[in-house]
Amino acid sequence: MKLFPMTGSNERADTQQPPLPSSALLWLLASFGILVMPQVDRLPLWLVASCAVLAGWRWLAQSSRVRLPGRAARLAVIITLVAAYVATVKESFSVDTAASFFVLAVSLKWLECRSTRDYYVLFFILVYLGGVNFLFRQEIYWALVNFVALAGLLIGLQLLNAPDLPHGVASGWRRLGGLMFKTLPIVVLLFIFFPRMAPLWSVPLVSSEARSGISETMKPGDISNLAKNDERAFRVTFGGETPAHRDRYWRGLILDYLDGETWRQSSSDGFRRPGRVANDGGVGELQSDEYEVLLEPTDQRWAFALAESRVASRNVVEESEDLFRFRRPADTTVRYRLAFEQETQASSPQLSVEERQRYLQLPDAGNPRARELAASFKERLNDAGMVETLLSRFRDQPYYYTLRPPRMAEDGIDTLLFDVRRGFCAHYAGATTFVLRAAGVPARVVVGYQGGEPVANNDYLIVRQYDAHAWVEVWLDGQGWVRLDPTAAIAPSRIESGLRDAVAEEGSFLEDNWASPERYSDIKVVRWFSHQLDRINYNWQRWVVGYQGESQMDLLSRLPGSFGLKELGYISAGIVGVGLLIAALFSALRLKQLERKDDFGRLIVAWHRLCNRTGVPVRAGDTPIDLASKLASAAPEVSDTARLFAQGVNSHYYKAGAEGGSVELARLRRLLATMKKQLRHSRSNRNRS
Amino acid sequence: MGHFFTDRWQRWIHRRIPRSDVQHFDQKNIFILPTRAGFVFGILLVIMLITGINYQNSLIYLMTFVLGTVFIGAMHQTHRNLSGLELSLLKAGETFSGEEIGFRFRAKASGADVVAIWLSWRGHKVAPVHIPAGQTRDVNLLIPTTYRGYFRPERIRVETRFPFGLLRAWSWIRPATSGVIYPSPLTAPESTGAVPDECDDASASPIDDTDHAELRPWREGDLSQRVMWKRYARNGQMVVADWEGEGGSPHWLDFDSFQGIDPEVRLRYLAWLVRERTKADQPFGLLLPGVTIEPDQGAAHGQRCLRALAVWGLEGTEVPDGEAINPLEVARASSGSEARS
Repeated sequence: MKLFPMTGSNERADTQQPPLPSSALLWLLASFGILVMPQVDRLPLWLVASCAVLAGWRWLAQSSRVRLPGRAARLAVIITLVAAYVATVKESFSVDTAASFFVLAVSLKWLECRSTRDYYVLFFILVYLGGVNFLFRQEIYWALVNFVALAGLLIGLQLLNAPDLPHGVASGWRRLGGLMFKTLPIVVLLFIFFPRMAPLWSVPLVSSEARSGISETMKPGDISNLAKNDERAFRVTFGGETPAHRDRYWRGLILDYLDGETWRQSSSDGFRRPGRVANDGGVGELQSDEYEVLLEPTDQRWAFALAESRVASRNVVEESEDLFRFRRPADTTVRYRLAFEQETQASSPQLSVEERQRYLQLPDAGNPRARELAASFKERLNDAGMVETLLSRFRDQPYYYTLRPPRMAEDGIDTLLFDVRRGFCAHYAGATTFVLRAAGVPARVVVGYQGGEPVANNDYLIVRQYDAHAWVEVWLDGQGWVRLDPTAAIAPSRIESGLRDAVAEEGSFLEDNWASPERYSDIKVVRWFSHQLDRINYNWQRWVVGYQGESQMDLLSRLPGSFGLKELGYISAGIVGVGLLIAALFSALRLKQLERKDDFGRLIVAWHRLCNRTGVPVRAGDTPIDLASKLASAAPEVSDTARLFAQGVNSHYYKAGAEGGSVELARLRRLLATMKKQLRHSRSNRNRS
Repeated sequence: MGHFFTDRWQRWIHRRIPRSDVQHFDQKNIFILPTRAGFVFGILLVIMLITGINYQNSLIYLMTFVLGTVFIGAMHQTHRNLSGLELSLLKAGETFSGEEIGFRFRAKASGADVVAIWLSWRGHKVAPVHIPAGQTRDVNLLIPTTYRGYFRPERIRVETRFPFGLLRAWSWIRPATSGVIYPSPLTAPESTGAVPDECDDASASPIDDTDHAELRPWREGDLSQRVMWKRYARNGQMVVADWEGEGGSPHWLDFDSFQGIDPEVRLRYLAWLVRERTKADQPFGLLLPGVTIEPDQGAAHGQRCLRALAVWGLEGTEVPDGEAINPLEVARASSGSEARS
């Protein structure tokens, strides 16, 4: 696979193709290994394995333990792997699948890495692989991994270009480190000032990877699976006071259609337009009523929000049912802002006939005991009374909140309400909605997150997947939609302080996830460390990764003067220019310094100049004694001085004594001056005569 | 038109780098350009920048800037690697045509390490050398030869691509001293090979043939081969056999003895004869039209004769400011004028 055909090399030396230096190859292979790491969990297992096999093959071939495949064998390997790829990736083309193919191409190239040119081809595609990694992973540790691999690649290049240099690796690191250190200011300035243009064209970054997170449907067991997951869902910073734990209901989506046992959306999000999510998440200080969410990629358009919020940044829109949506699926980490509504609308809300129908929908049959209960409610109570009675039933009767609910096969709601009485939030939310609807009260299931853990002196909250929650909203005439959380009645601690406390007795918190730092976060040190790490990463995400169009403009608007993209372009060019100038200046100064340091060399140059002037051409390889004797025959008056001088030079060369160096140097200088004087003297004598 | 520019370019370079056996490299005479890989690297950076723009990915921007400044930094490092280097021609080689002529240079690194530099002339290059700061290394550049005559390379290139191979910095040294290429030896026909004196019949060893030699006492400077050691053993007198005193030597190698043969071929015969005689350590003299080298023996004498053969017919012609000249043409041109005179 000739990815970068660079043909027509006219250098004869290259055609001989000496074997690649092992050390250089080793660094290239190591960098490849590091660069594949961030992709490993995205790639199919067979691809990871073939990466390892192909790279290992190349390494064994280096020590001649195996041979690189010939053309036919190579073709066979290529066809097999590409066929496997096509079979695995049945879906449409996206950046994600393209990235997998890229990894495949790199690994195949190992079989062809013979010459210096191949080495450079691999170098280039590995550098680009580093760039591709950033499309999928932007956390600070992955960035470090990527940059380490990049440095490894550059070390490899140095070894390739000077394979037999003693201490090549150490001096390579020193050289590279010095280089990076010196250019760091320019990198930083460029990063700040380089104009962040709008995308030239937009290719969706849709990932086939199954992301963890809440899904579009809810079966009773779903959310309890999420409860075992400690991945981050999003982080929130509040401009003002952080609301209490029990008020932190992050609404994501509404499930209003019961299909057998499964709750789903009656009108789905519709056609998912491909494209990238906009990352213009607002700039400047947060107002006291604002809050900012940094959402991990979900591949959905959902923007989680507290109740009674309004839009405060341009990349979210408010849609029906008081939900917030992005215009495109969140394929990367996305930041957005919302603000609390000042006043709820005074006008009494109305529910249209169609809506009422929608929120009363139930399957035709099933769960007869729950329907019976609903009918008995309806006979004696109004809507608000029904809600109250249901909640007190949950509160007073022995219902349990558990992460280990028993299987409820048929008529699950009946089984939950009347038999096992053990369930998770999704069970109770579904059952509550069912009973209310059966009793003729419009109700809907809301899915999202509840809670969030404060980090770093309440600077921000982390909401994790195990904070996923389901609750109910019920329509009460005159009040509109009212939140109703059966879980709060059954296990108040879940709402007051989170899942950990709610299931403390059961001991089921992250029980399968023994390696998770969250599991041990009741140990202070562990919590402190995990919070510090997260804080670094959060700031990295906000200030470095999130440094895009709007934030750049915001930063620059604080500087005097006005900056447009064009000005930024000029500034960037200026930075590079000034950088170059400074570097040139430094190197010139350094050269001067070196010249000044080499006193002995200068003395020799002066002596050669004197010889040339006197008519004794200096040939390379002439020893000082040779020169002195030639000089003596050309100008007899300096013969003694010249001989002394030459002896002095010789002893400097051969004794190489460091001590007395300056004394000797002074003596030589005096001798040279004497020679000059003698020559001048004799010349003037000759002129006079 | 293109010729015009190459000419000007050449002249410009020659002004910057005058003919000299010693060349110091600094800002004034170092050239630097990206290599092929460097150009591809540039394209890669553009692609990465576009990727960064399109995916609004700050980290790809960052990576592009880092790599870009590494490239610029590498420009300085590559340049600096060569600057401060001093090359001096130690010895311009002498060899037979068809063999490789060696130009021996001494490379001195003043101040900073010089890593992976190499010399080359028209694709013939030496393995890269590393020179720690303040030290010297000798480098022998071997160049294949075709014609006899003076050989002075137009310019010998000194190049480095260290550290990353993305940029090449190069300059030239234009040696002032020429190498000498002897005619390639060709076995001379036996009969005409050595022209004995008219009166002498023999190719017998002159050392045994002491009858015709004048015997005189040893004096300082006489070659030990000429001492009559047998006599010394007999009576302790150091006596030297001196053929030169005889007037005319038994073994003149004469250009004119190969009548009707192309002059270049004659020179090759003579070169072979000179080599053989020198090897056998026999005394001989060389007769070329306009050049006479008195009989003598030893390596220095052989070299002198070979040099005479190498440049015969080229004396007076200026040492060409280029690579090997074709002496056939020069010889033909000059032999025409000689014939007239």
